[in-house]
Amino acid sequence: MVILKKNCIAMLLAGGQGSRLYALTAKVAKPGMPFGGKYRIIDFPLSNCANSGIDTVGVLTQYQPLQLNRYVGSGQPWDLDTEDGGVYILPPYQSAGERGSWFSGTANAIYQNIDFIEMYDPDNVLILSGDHIYKMDYAKMLRAHEEAGAACTIAVIQVSMEEATRFGIMNVGENGFIEEFEEKPAHPKSDLASMGIYIFNWKKLRQALIDDENDPNSDKDFGKNIIPKMLADGEKLLPYRFEGYWRDVGTITSLWDANMDMLGNTSLNLFDPQWPIRARSPIRPPHFAGSNAHIEHSIVTEGCVIDGQVDNSVLSANVTVGAGAKISYSVLMPGAVVEPGAVVEYAILGERAVVAAGAHVGQQPDGSEGWGVATVGPDVRVACGAKVPAGAMIYDSEEVQS
Amino acid sequence: MKNVHGIVYAYHSSPALGDLTRNRTNASLPFAGRYRLIDFALSALSNAGVRDVGVIMQRDYQSLLDHVAGGKAWDISRRRGGLKLLPPFGTHHEGDYVGTAEALNAVIRYVRDIPQENIVLYPADVVCNVDLTDVIRQHIVSGCGITAICSDYVPKAVHYRLTRKEDGKAEKVLFRQTDGSQGVLATELYVVRKDTLLELLDRCEAENRFHFHRDCLAAYLEQGGEMDIYMYNGYIRRIDSVADYFESSMDMLKPGPRADLFPEDRPVRTKERSDVSTYYSEQAQVQNSLIADGCYIEGTVKNCIIFRGVRVAPGAVLENCILMQDTVVGAGASLKYIIADKDVSVADYVTLAGGEKLPLVIPKGSKL
Repeated sequence: MVILKKNCIAMLLAGGQGSRLYALTAKVAKPGMPFGGKYRIIDFPLSNCANSGIDTVGVLTQYQPLQLNRYVGSGQPWDLDTEDGGVYILPPYQSAGERGSWFSGTANAIYQNIDFIEMYDPDNVLILSGDHIYKMDYAKMLRAHEEAGAACTIAVIQVSMEEATRFGIMNVGENGFIEEFEEKPAHPKSDLASMGIYIFNWKKLRQALIDDENDPNSDKDFGKNIIPKMLADGEKLLPYRFEGYWRDVGTITSLWDANMDMLGNTSLNLFDPQWPIRARSPIRPPHFAGSNAHIEHSIVTEGCVIDGQVDNSVLSANVTVGAGAKISYSVLMPGAVVEPGAVVEYAILGERAVVAAGAHVGQQPDGSEGWGVATVGPDVRVACGAKVPAGAMIYDSEEVQS
Repeated sequence: MKNVHGIVYAYHSSPALGDLTRNRTNASLPFAGRYRLIDFALSALSNAGVRDVGVIMQRDYQSLLDHVAGGKAWDISRRRGGLKLLPPFGTHHEGDYVGTAEALNAVIRYVRDIPQENIVLYPADVVCNVDLTDVIRQHIVSGCGITAICSDYVPKAVHYRLTRKEDGKAEKVLFRQTDGSQGVLATELYVVRKDTLLELLDRCEAENRFHFHRDCLAAYLEQGGEMDIYMYNGYIRRIDSVADYFESSMDMLKPGPRADLFPEDRPVRTKERSDVSTYYSEQAQVQNSLIADGCYIEGTVKNCIIFRGVRVAPGAVLENCILMQDTVVGAGASLKYIIADKDVSVADYVTLAGGEKLPLVIPKGSKL
C-alpha cells in the first residue's frame, strides 16, 4: 500500500461524553447527536473537511462509540472513502508490553495516535472537536498558518465581553500573534475566544505532545497545557479570525437554541450548493403531510408522517405526528412518535421517544426561575395522559407513567 | 444470492409519455418525490442480495448514466461483478429494439458470460417492491426453467396474462388482454434459468424473432416447458403513459400503496443529493402531499408530489400537481393538474390548469 505524503490531515476529537446533555448522550457520544433535521453534529466538521479538500480524517472515539462508528462508516456520504485518504475511527488501543490506557485528555488522545499521524508524514495537523455547528474553510486557515510560518494557528471568534468569561481568550499583540492565552478569565482583556480548532506544525506538535506526556502535573489538555506551554516557549501562535455562524451545542439549552436557529435566517446557509453539509441518509421516502396536517415555520425531513399541527419545530427523519397532536417550539429526533392528541411544546424528544395519546410534554415559558426545555430521552415512552413538566429530564419510561 | 444475476431493461421510451421521455427513457423518469423508476428494480435486486446486475440501454441514456453512475447507491458497485451498463454491442440490431428478446440478443455475449445459474429479468418501468428473495426461493424449489411474477391487478392498458393449470403452473400466454376475465396478469418480471433463457434466445436469433412473450414464453409452454407462477398482490404498476404516471404518482398519497412500496426492511435506494430538510414558512399550508427534502414552501400545497429542491413562493397555490426537482413556482401563481418536469420556472401570478384525466406536462427547464 502506497501512502502519499499529506500536507495536512485532520484529527477529530469525538470521545467526549457530552455529560451536560444527560439522557440524550447516555447511549451515544455527543458528535453522534442528531441536529437540525437532517444532520448529526459530526456532519459539520466532516463536511467542512471534505469541502476544504482535507481527505484524511482520524476520528478519536472513546465514550459510547458504537452508533458513531456505524454512522461514520467508510466516510462515503462525505466523499472521504478515497484510496489514499479516508476517515478512520481511532479508539484507544493496547501495544505489546503495555497495558494500554484510556485517552486521559485531548492532548493525550492525539499523543496516543502519533503513529497514525506519522503514517501520512503530514506537514500540519488540524485538530477539531465534534461539538460545534459551523461552516468553515479550513484550507483558508491552513494558508494563513503556512504564510505566517506559525507553530500553531488557533481559530478565534469575537464574543461579547460577558460571554468571554466562559471561553479560552486570546490576547493578540501588535505583531498580530497571540501574546497571552487565558482560560475562562474573570476579567477578560480581549473578546477573541478560541473555537477549539487548531492547526499545528506537526513536528512542533509532536515534540510538544511528547514533552507534555512526560510532565506528571499536566492535564494533557490542548487549552490548559499544550497552547500555554508553546506560548511560554516563544513559539509563533497565530489567531485566525472566523466570522459567521458558530454555536456550541453542549447543553440542553444551547442544543435547543441552535436547532431553533435552523428555522431562521442565520448566516449558516444550509442551502448553499458551494458548501454542502452532507449526512448519511436514512433511505426513506419523502415526508407525507396528511389531510389534517398544519405545518408552519418548521423544518421536516424524509420519512416523516405528519397529520397534526407543527409550528416552530425541527423534525428529523422518520418522525410521526398523529392527527390532532400539537408540536410547538420543539426538536424531534429521528423516529420520535407523537400519538394523536398529544402535546409537545418547548421540548426535545430523543431518538424513537414516544409521547402516547393525550400526554403533554413541556410548557411555554412562564417567566419563572425554574423554567426550561423539557427533554425526553431516547426510547422513552411517555404514557397516555402523562405530563412531563418544563425543564424535566426523562431517562426512563417508568418516570412518566400516567 | 450468489447464484442469481439481474438484467434490467432500461432502453424503452413510451411514446405515450410524451415530453416526459423526450430526453430520457422510462427508466429514468422521476417518481414519488425522490426516485427514478429504475430505483425500484435496482433496489429490489440489491435487497435480495443480487449484486451482479446488467442494465440494457440503447439511446437517450444520458440521464440514466448520470443517475445510476457506478451503482454505489444500490451497493452494486463491486470489485468483482457488480453493475454493468449494456449499450448495444452488435451492429446488426438497427433501430429501436422491437422486443425484449431482441434487446437480450443484442447483448448476448454478456448473457452467455453470466456465471450464475438464474437470472431475474426486470423491466425498469415497473413500480413495485416485491421480495425477490422469496420469489427466487420458490423458483429454485420448483425446479422450473422459468418463474413468472403475476398479480391479480387488472391494468386498463393492453397486457399479457397467463392461464394456470390445475397444479398452479402456467398453461399459456394470452396476448392483448384488456380485462381480467381469464388468468392472471404477467407483470413481465421473470426469474429464468440461464440455460433455458439461452436456448430460447438462440431460437429467436436464428428465426429472426424479437418478442420475449410471443417468441420465447409461448413457444416454451407449447413445447411442454414448465413455468411456475409467483403471485404478488402488493402494489404494482407499469408506467407507460402520462395517465399511468399521474395515477400512480397520486397513489403515493394513499397509505396502502406507500406501505407496499416503502417497507422498512426493503428500502428503495436512490442517488443522494445532500439536500437539507424542507422548510415551511409561517404562511405555508400543506395537505395530503408527499414532499421531499430540500424544498422551501411558502405557499399552499394540496394533493401534490413535490420533488427535492422545489421552491414555492408565498401566495402560490398548487393542487393535484407533480413538481419535479428544483422547480420554482413564483408568488401568487396557481397550478392545478400540472406535471412540471425538472428545473421548470413558473413566474409570479401565472395561472395554469390541466385536466383531471389529462394533466398538463411542462417540459424540463421551461420558463413560464
